[in-house]
Amino acid sequence: MQTKILLDEGEMPKRWYNIQADLPTPMDPPLHPATGKPVVPDDLRHIFPMELIRQEMTTERYIDIPAEVRDILTLWRPSPLYRAKRLEAALKTPAKIYFKWEGVSAPGSHKPNTAIPQAYYNREEGIERLATETGAGQWGSSLAFATSLFDMECTVYMVRSSYEQKPYRKSMMQVYGAECIPSPSPKTRSGQAVLARDPDTPGSLGIAISEAVEDAASHDNTNYALGSVLNHVCLHQTIIGQEAREQLAAVEAYPDVIIGCVGGGSNFAGLTFPFAGDKITGKHPETDIIAVEPAACPTLTKGLYAYDFGDVAGLTPLMRMFTLGHDFIPPAIHAGGLRYHGASPLVSRLAHDGIVRSAAYRQNEVFDAAVMFARTEGIIVAPEAAHAVKATIDEALRCRETGEAKTILFNNSGHGNFDFSSYEAYFAGSLVDYEYPMELIKESLARLPVTE
Amino acid sequence: MRTVGFLVNPVAGMGGAVGLAGTDGKVSEALRRGAVPRARERAVRTLSLLLDDSIEWYTCSGAMGEDALLDAGFDCYTVLYPSSAPTSAADTTTACRAFLDARVDLIVFCGGDGTARDVFDIVGREVPVLGIPAGVKMYSAVFAVNPVAAADLIRRAGGISCRDSEVMDIDEEAYRSGHLSARLYGYASVPYIPERIQGGKQVFEQQDEERAKDDIAAFMSEVMLPETLYIVGAGSTTARIMERLGLTPTLLGVDAVRNGEVLAWNTDERALLALLDEYPRAKVIVSPIGAQGFVLGRGNQQISPAVLRKAGLPNLIVVATPGKLAGTPILYIDSGDPVLDREIGDSLLVISGYRVAQRRCVVHPD
Repeated sequence: MQTKILLDEGEMPKRWYNIQADLPTPMDPPLHPATGKPVVPDDLRHIFPMELIRQEMTTERYIDIPAEVRDILTLWRPSPLYRAKRLEAALKTPAKIYFKWEGVSAPGSHKPNTAIPQAYYNREEGIERLATETGAGQWGSSLAFATSLFDMECTVYMVRSSYEQKPYRKSMMQVYGAECIPSPSPKTRSGQAVLARDPDTPGSLGIAISEAVEDAASHDNTNYALGSVLNHVCLHQTIIGQEAREQLAAVEAYPDVIIGCVGGGSNFAGLTFPFAGDKITGKHPETDIIAVEPAACPTLTKGLYAYDFGDVAGLTPLMRMFTLGHDFIPPAIHAGGLRYHGASPLVSRLAHDGIVRSAAYRQNEVFDAAVMFARTEGIIVAPEAAHAVKATIDEALRCRETGEAKTILFNNSGHGNFDFSSYEAYFAGSLVDYEYPMELIKESLARLPVTE
Repeated sequence: MRTVGFLVNPVAGMGGAVGLAGTDGKVSEALRRGAVPRARERAVRTLSLLLDDSIEWYTCSGAMGEDALLDAGFDCYTVLYPSSAPTSAADTTTACRAFLDARVDLIVFCGGDGTARDVFDIVGREVPVLGIPAGVKMYSAVFAVNPVAAADLIRRAGGISCRDSEVMDIDEEAYRSGHLSARLYGYASVPYIPERIQGGKQVFEQQDEERAKDDIAAFMSEVMLPETLYIVGAGSTTARIMERLGLTPTLLGVDAVRNGEVLAWNTDERALLALLDEYPRAKVIVSPIGAQGFVLGRGNQQISPAVLRKAGLPNLIVVATPGKLAGTPILYIDSGDPVLDREIGDSLLVISGYRVAQRRCVVHPD
């Protein structure tokens, strides 16, 4: 039995898969925050390059990956698919557990899969600088890496709590030549407004997005880049699932269960969309696709499917998605990358249509799973990816009860080498099991500040 | 240099080891049963850690403070009050008045719940106080968890913030006959070190107690429903919810609210049951006692098992600030009805911020 299933560089997918082509009805359009009318390409021109706007809106099934982008992706792609034999043995499960290992990229996660093409298209259209936000730091360091390869400048607004908690992520961005600013910052009006209200705020992804969008919109040479949520970001990540499908085919397998963690939703989309496409088109209608979230911020599990802003300040278009309300600042969980009030409209749509289902876990049980994974497979995963590990273990244990030899595939989206303070807190017993008090909120849904 | 008023209740804690539930009025009986004073030893453990700190100590003569300072190795302090022997509650209150007259920055006492109540009677919230735990019962939240933690707090007091901490009034006679009657007596101001709830440098949760209360109140006011009776328990966190609604709370009692109006202030069990007859759709909002962690059964006795049954257990809403929860490792339920206690289960969701809750373990005394 093979532990690592590898593809040659020549076997790396040459196209991205666009799930919009296979949806039974079109996506609900994003709405302009001022007019409430559907967004048109011109509305986005001041912050995105035209090619990315086209990718955001197109319903073409496949989009070619430019040769220059493919060449850079070979620095770490195709990424390996692992069979987690030792985890299976420890769980005494008849299930076969596979995981796609995205921690092999230089910044250590799946994020460069979209950072590279985003930087590329911006440079092609003459943009000199990219502004972005980062929560846990994975996206910021990935865009810093990408812009350094294209000789561009990069400004990263990093959620202040993460900035203080993960100084080495900041150092990584500096190595790649990016400027990393704790958010909220006095550099932008949105940042100033938050600081005036609350000088000690820990910040949030929603606030940092407002700052980066404002920075891009107010500088001609600067565009904005987003590391998750949007359609084109999910599109770029589909290289993961396409590779995984090829790798599983090489051992004559197809997953019964596919699992990924969801913050904005891009790593989940990347692994699952090619398989979700198979499900929608009837090739594999029974596949169980599970989106895993933190109980503290259970957007898909407990949110509303409604139009809401992507950021705190209300600068982004309104998108139809599952949301806990754009003014919700999720509590202090260690999976900083999962602290987002909304979820990708595409992932939300699939959840709404019943193509994917969701599950939510509390911090301590997630770290229990991460430690078990480290002690069997060796890899110390990021707290975000640990959510997928937890759901995988639960599914495998269910197989032990039923005796089913299901094939489970999960996305191991990144390593936890910058997250040892989180592991330290876990071992010290100081992780708080946060939950979203849905029962109380449900009774008063009419008062939720969500725009429908 | 900071000034600290320091007193020991030399008989505190003596009743416990010899089967007396508290030492109030029972010193000679405790001594007859062979009780050994232990407060001094507890105080010395704290004091000996502060020898190198620049603190000006004010204290009482003999067993009420001076002896402990000498044992710990101090040779420089001021005796403000010559205590009597044997000591009584009057010694504690007179000493506290002397400390206030000397304008001390902090009052540290070594004792139990009875001592805390005596200190609070005089000091109120005028200056911060801190208890070194040495009593039989310590239901009040003014105590450091142990003498070492007390030393750390004394060292850092002044540079750190204070929080409201419950002083409980325990009826010792009732307690001895097997009934715990614990009334919330008041709120003292106690220095505390914000817990690094998530460890390391991660301090994203609301550390400021007052703002945390505001967040909880903002959330609760958002989810409070019309045509619903709200029974609001004692405490400063629940009081903030009332204030947010524009209502005047009874800090130490239980209020009943409906449609933004107070139906009854500082009400008792019987009145609550009558209100529940009239308005069966109801919710109960309570906050645990800091440090001790009692959600039911201490300080909120008006919210009896009968009241909870009538309102329905799923309608129990527990609120507490992250700071209070961090200093309260375990929540206890002791409503007086063990069946009801068990129905609550092994964990409770505690609202700790705006749309944020923590899942906390619950222990039942039985």
